[in-house]
Amino acid sequence: MSAAVPSSRTSRPARIRKIGYWGLSWLGLAAAAAAWQLASGMAGSTIFPGFGTTVSRAWQLIDGPELTRDLIPSILRTLAGFAISAVLGITLGLVTGYYRAAREWTSAVFDFLRSLPTPLLIPVALVIFGLGGKMVVAVIVTAAVWPVLINTANATSALEPTLVDTARILGLRGPAFMGRVVLPAVSPQIFAGLRVALSVSLAVMVVSEILGGGSGIGYFIANAQQSFAITDSYAGVIILCLLGWAFDTLFLFVERRLLAWQHGTVGGEPHV
Amino acid sequence: MPSAELRFGRGQAPDPAGAAPGGPLPAPRIAPARGHWRSAGRSVGGVVVAIAVWELVSVSGLVTNQAMAGVGETASAIGAHAGTLVTAAGGTLKAWAVGIAIAIAAGVVIGSLVGRSRVAEAFTEGLVRMMRPLPSLALIPVAILVAGLGLTMTAGLVAFTSFWPIFINTRYGVRQVDNLLMDTGRTLGLHGPRLLLKVVMPAAAPLIASGIQVAISLALVVTVSVELVGGTGGLGTLVLQAQQGNAVPMMYAGIIVGGFIGWGLNIGFASLVRRTLPWSNRLESA
Repeated sequence: MSAAVPSSRTSRPARIRKIGYWGLSWLGLAAAAAAWQLASGMAGSTIFPGFGTTVSRAWQLIDGPELTRDLIPSILRTLAGFAISAVLGITLGLVTGYYRAAREWTSAVFDFLRSLPTPLLIPVALVIFGLGGKMVVAVIVTAAVWPVLINTANATSALEPTLVDTARILGLRGPAFMGRVVLPAVSPQIFAGLRVALSVSLAVMVVSEILGGGSGIGYFIANAQQSFAITDSYAGVIILCLLGWAFDTLFLFVERRLLAWQHGTVGGEPHV
Repeated sequence: MPSAELRFGRGQAPDPAGAAPGGPLPAPRIAPARGHWRSAGRSVGGVVVAIAVWELVSVSGLVTNQAMAGVGETASAIGAHAGTLVTAAGGTLKAWAVGIAIAIAAGVVIGSLVGRSRVAEAFTEGLVRMMRPLPSLALIPVAILVAGLGLTMTAGLVAFTSFWPIFINTRYGVRQVDNLLMDTGRTLGLHGPRLLLKVVMPAAAPLIASGIQVAISLALVVTVSVELVGGTGGLGTLVLQAQQGNAVPMMYAGIIVGGFIGWGLNIGFASLVRRTLPWSNRLESA
């Protein structure tokens, strides 16, 4: 999408257009918020609190004891699950992508496992790990590992033969070859997979917490719903929205930093 | 190691590192049909190994037998409760189908209208940024509050959730159309809706299809989650109740059936795309 690095050389009309685009996108968000406020006003605010009420409640939650009780555990679980999925997915993806035999042996099993709707595994995880963080992390891994694995494997199996042969002629073997040639070459696709995995982690975290988190945002939202603290459950969703947005933005920032060396080498983008 | 042995069989120079890539060189030497059979054989072999590992784990007692049923027990549970499983699967598929149908219709129509207008596109950019990573499963409790339990709520939430990937990909795909195609179409006298239908949509179709592919899996996840949380019937409720009733083989039967549904939907849609959109040689996502 519009991931191009803003350069100082951008011409003036282009910059104005960019600012206009940015302004319009905020206007769109404001319109959505206004529509929400209007709809709640018409529906009567008992089951549908207004936008203002919800946001101020969300702020109270972020500022209150719920921060350490629910919000921080949820963030840690999401990041733990995401990190495990990343390591596992990249490793398995490199192996199954690089060795055709490994790919063929695992293809049917992996296809089945990744199509399985993961929330069905929550009851199993509940029995094995009990309520709480470990269960949530385990369920996250079963879902978030697939986008990383598939993207890594696809990119690795489509590696440029010239690149592979050059590295071999220069004597690179084993881990050095994987780490210094293959991994950098496939890193853009790995990052695309990681980005999907991050939002999957967040979504799965919520549903596992609703069913048996013991604490966390999902648990908080479900509790609020059952005790008819309606504004609270909306506020929880708003916090999750912001969390998802923050994760995504942070991720794109890190990605741009880590992949900065690629500008001008692939994709036909000019040097900045 | 099977790979080394097979590489010898292909009459290629032995590679001591055992790591020759599936490069272009050896490909022409083997008949494609033979390669295909070998690949299929290995996939089946993989399934056999996976089932053996499953059985081993269950027999070894590594995992408490309150959480693990053997292959045989699960298979006989599938056989004994086939009727219940089919009913549950039907319930899940019904909510899934209603939701995904609404999402496809709305996502493609709104996405292609928005994608054609620079202003509308900018206007929705902020929303898309917000909604793309939205953990929609968090909306389940809210949706229960607003709409109560039932098919309307499930299908509505499924539609809302799966709308976004379809909308985002359509909006992007419609904008990405090659100017050469557009100009050719205009020169040949196509304008307005006919240009959209004859040029823009076919060109954007591969991206739209990949959005739908994502939405199909997402919709199934949401359906099952609502069933787990809300207890509205279907596979999610079946699996949770089996766990609570300590009917471990039944729990695994439900999971396996769910896996086959997801797998079938994915494979089915992918082959539909291959058949109807031969110009999209691979699914790529925006």
